[in-house]
Amino acid sequence: MAVLPISRRKLLLSTGALAATGWMSRAAWAEDTPSGGRLVVAADSEPRTLNPAIVASNGVFFIASKVIEPLAEAMMDGEGGLAPRLATSWEGSEDGLSITFKLREGVTWHDGEPFTSADVAYSAMQVWKPLQNLGRVVFANLDTVEAPDAHTAIFRFSAPTPIQLVRNALPVVTSVLPKHLYEGTDIAANPANKALVGTGPFKFAEHRPGEYYRLTRNDAYWGEGLPKLDEIVFRVLPDRAAAASALEAGEIHLAAFSQVPLVDLERIAKVPGLKVVTEGYEALTYQLVVEINHRNEILADRNVRQAISHAIDRDFVVDTVFLGYAQAATGPVPQNAPQFYNPDVPAHPFDVERANALLDEAGYPRGGDGIRFSLRLLPAPFFSETRQFGDYLRQALGKVGIDVTLVNNDTPAHLKAVYTDHDFDIAVGSPVFRGDPAISTTILVQSGIPDGVPFSNQGGYANAELDTIIDQAAETIDTEARTALYNDFQRMVVDDLPLINVAEWGFTTVASDTVLNVGNNPRWPVSNWADTALTS
Amino acid sequence: MNRVARRLVDSPEGVAGLCLLVLLAAMALAAPLLYPGDPLAIVGRPLTAPFTDAGLPLGTDRLGRDVLAGLMHGARASLLVGLATALVALTAGALVGTLAGLAGGLVDEALMRVVDAFQIVPAFLLALAFVSVAGASLSVIVFAIALGAWTGPARLARAEVLSIRERDYVAAARVIGMHPAEIALREVLPNALPPVLALTAVIVATAVLVEAALSFLGLGDPNVVTWGSMIAEGRNVLRTAPHLSIVPGLGLVATVLGVYLLGEGLANAMAAREGRG
Amino acid sequence: MHRALILTRRRIVSSIPVLLIVIVGTFLLLESAPGDAVDAYLVSLGGGDAGLVTELRQSYGLDQSPFKRLTLYVSALARFDLGWSVAFDRPVLGLIVERLPNTLWLMGAATALAFSLGSLLGIVAGARPGSLTDRALSIGSLALYAVPSFWLGLVLVLVFAVDLRWFPTAGIETIASGKTGLARVADIAWHLALPVSALGFIYLALFLRMMRTGMAEAWRQDFVLFARAKGLARRRIVLRHVARNALLPLVTMLGLQAAAMLGGSVVVESVFAIPGFGRLAHEAVAGRDAPLLTGIIIVSAVLVIVVNLMVDIAYAALDPRVGSGEASS
Repeated sequence: MAVLPISRRKLLLSTGALAATGWMSRAAWAEDTPSGGRLVVAADSEPRTLNPAIVASNGVFFIASKVIEPLAEAMMDGEGGLAPRLATSWEGSEDGLSITFKLREGVTWHDGEPFTSADVAYSAMQVWKPLQNLGRVVFANLDTVEAPDAHTAIFRFSAPTPIQLVRNALPVVTSVLPKHLYEGTDIAANPANKALVGTGPFKFAEHRPGEYYRLTRNDAYWGEGLPKLDEIVFRVLPDRAAAASALEAGEIHLAAFSQVPLVDLERIAKVPGLKVVTEGYEALTYQLVVEINHRNEILADRNVRQAISHAIDRDFVVDTVFLGYAQAATGPVPQNAPQFYNPDVPAHPFDVERANALLDEAGYPRGGDGIRFSLRLLPAPFFSETRQFGDYLRQALGKVGIDVTLVNNDTPAHLKAVYTDHDFDIAVGSPVFRGDPAISTTILVQSGIPDGVPFSNQGGYANAELDTIIDQAAETIDTEARTALYNDFQRMVVDDLPLINVAEWGFTTVASDTVLNVGNNPRWPVSNWADTALTS
Repeated sequence: MNRVARRLVDSPEGVAGLCLLVLLAAMALAAPLLYPGDPLAIVGRPLTAPFTDAGLPLGTDRLGRDVLAGLMHGARASLLVGLATALVALTAGALVGTLAGLAGGLVDEALMRVVDAFQIVPAFLLALAFVSVAGASLSVIVFAIALGAWTGPARLARAEVLSIRERDYVAAARVIGMHPAEIALREVLPNALPPVLALTAVIVATAVLVEAALSFLGLGDPNVVTWGSMIAEGRNVLRTAPHLSIVPGLGLVATVLGVYLLGEGLANAMAAREGRG
Repeated sequence: MHRALILTRRRIVSSIPVLLIVIVGTFLLLESAPGDAVDAYLVSLGGGDAGLVTELRQSYGLDQSPFKRLTLYVSALARFDLGWSVAFDRPVLGLIVERLPNTLWLMGAATALAFSLGSLLGIVAGARPGSLTDRALSIGSLALYAVPSFWLGLVLVLVFAVDLRWFPTAGIETIASGKTGLARVADIAWHLALPVSALGFIYLALFLRMMRTGMAEAWRQDFVLFARAKGLARRRIVLRHVARNALLPLVTMLGLQAAAMLGGSVVVESVFAIPGFGRLAHEAVAGRDAPLLTGIIIVSAVLVIVVNLMVDIAYAALDPRVGSGEASS
């Protein structure tokens, strides 16, 4: 039963094949899989709020997605890459000014109240649009939500909003909250933000801070025969070595989001009873980028940026830092976003000679000590891979005569230095691709973003032409025309290098062989796990 | 002083401690000669096992950096952290303690309350908070560890000064009209200092260990190899490549052992001198 | 008993200015930190726009002047209100009350282990100063002291939890077990075995060496020489006269080690995923949670003061020579 680790590259090739050979449908699994049991899962942190409608982040979804459902979920082979959840269908008007959702009937909240279009209208107008970190962008032009009957919700926009964007954002931004518990209260301070009440396959049971979260089976779940498990326990294990030890000792069943360090995977794959699964992160791609402060006049020179790009051996990074569980990047949109990915961009292959030549050309010859100039590099402390890449980048740039000093900050200090104070020359960042460039990528290069917005263009880069394309795409309703604009966008970014994309990675899951249906959708760790099961 | 040295060489602890520390110091001094380049440079295949490549006798780490080069440069950084911390802590402690002891009254009271305040806050918490706030560089780390280490010397210095200032030669200096600051520097401090210096061993050992713990929590200086950072990085591959954390760990054990043994030998030798003298 | 009361009152009075210094110092330290609680929180959000950032700062009162926040904090503190944790979105006092017992168990057990085993081995070593046993114990314990606690913890986990499976790898008790009473106590003890060892073994050396030194000195003292001259059995001399005298300084040591152990628990609690005080402190620093960190530092300072007071009372009881006046620092 042990699944051998598949490298990301192989995996990406095989995703299409899986769909073609007929990945077993959910229904088929539901028939055969055993029911019952308690699944114990490692969690590396405890989010401050668990409410996914306010905080649309993977850390929150990991736990909350089992309790609170979105209108639709991502799916490997579903129509348009989506599987219906609380909505059964959605249709945009031609003018891009309205979208009609048909909602699922016969759904009840965990406290027994019926789920209706009023809940969706309330969530959209009172939470997603004004409060949610991503909803503020996607629903910026949302005017009203009409509820002509209990199971229809019509979203009306004041300016054309591309249906493509809304569709891509559905799994992330549309977690529905129960109106009857939130209406008339201070939403941010509502106790239901911690003791969640949703419509999902599992009910929130308890949270022992520093120890665990416990979810129990929702017997009244709308999915027939679901969920399979009786209970899910998220055990808090902050240390990276702890998850691997607990798995080997049989204390937990599963660790997702690469909680087992990559270096340990090869060994742990050989442990009897454990499997390494790389599927399930196709729509959760993280990007390794070099952020550049264009206020530094050396770095404002395109030749210098290009030289830096040439100095990076992307294959070495993939093989050594990511041990093969990643893919070299070619541009700002990852390759596993086929809807948008444009392979037709200028290439910057690893070429030390070319890098040296470019730097000479730019007017920065090596000094007597072999050094052309010095830079301060701030690697993001979020992942051990971002730090290790920082170590590598220091060496790689040293080889072309750029002297690099690493600055090690903890998380808040890093954010402040890079995104508010702009106190850096280059930085290593790890933005997430969220299925659509409008909610993940454009913000990294767009100009006019106020200081202090994290994970955005704070390098002082301004390119009027690029800004125009971004603005155009934001209001282009025609899917093809919009995609074409993003193709131009990618070409221009790679050509001018406002930032340098190095690699793209998903994560890995290590699970006991007894856990079934691991990684069977592209946002698996943050999906509802209704069909996840345990064999005894 | 000569007799103390001879006694030190006579005691087995002293000799063992001295040997260990001389060896470590030699490693630290030889590091830039034997490995002139950056010890963080990527020189080989990642995770080369030890004793398989003559050019890389102790193998390489996760990124392909030479472990032996790291070990030797690490000796340099770790000993530097230890000694610098001791220097800062002892200087600050001796100054504050002497001032409090000589001034007496309200100044003494105020200074000692500050000492109390630093003493009741767990030193590691203080270092953790300070490094998080000021950013992880070697000098900040030294200062942060010293923050929790200067109170011991301060207390001891004050106690010594209190006992010394009543002695005859200080009284004599006062009578002949010496300036109080001159008395403090000329007469009191030199006599109060030796017992305070005996704390060096503990401070050096603690500093080296605290630096390791800070590295473990991700608060080390990434531009420098220290044994602590090597252990912290090696722990991720504890099962597959245990030598990556054991080798620098042995360095740490040797340092702490050396420092303590020498400290003990010295204390014994000095006690013996006083006992006879 | 009267003496203990005087001592207690004296300590409480002298602690107030010290605590004030600690509070202001902590506040100033965090005030000078780059990045505030909102920066830390935004990372978990994965970003947000400028409007969100401003709204968050307002809602936590972070847009007010530092002086105003400090005065607000101190005046609330006078009413025993430790404030609101930004990172956890809960009252600080509740968090501390929840986490403190776990750390007290850990520290208490580790101290007991280090003290009892350390003094025992110290007696063995000091019974014949300079012997092979003495040297071996002395060097062995020092080597343990030199091992970083996180590394010792990880190795203990690998050997005793993963390979032998005698103990659990992490946690404070079995998850959602529903155990109560004695069964729960046994469960917690079973979970704490490895972390207590990791923390306790490190401090063992200190007690061992102190005991040993004390005994070596006691051997030279008159009453011991007298006992030897009387021809008392060596075993009896060691236990009755030498060890008993050497034990007293160790009690003082207990008080001094309280602060160090509290610091050491930060790392051990991270390794063993124990929801304790030390880990809370680390989370507070990482989250730039000023009210929480200040609360933690105040409580740990009070804890250290209380432990020292208890040690002094115990010392006074053990050694009648010490009056209440001498014992104040």
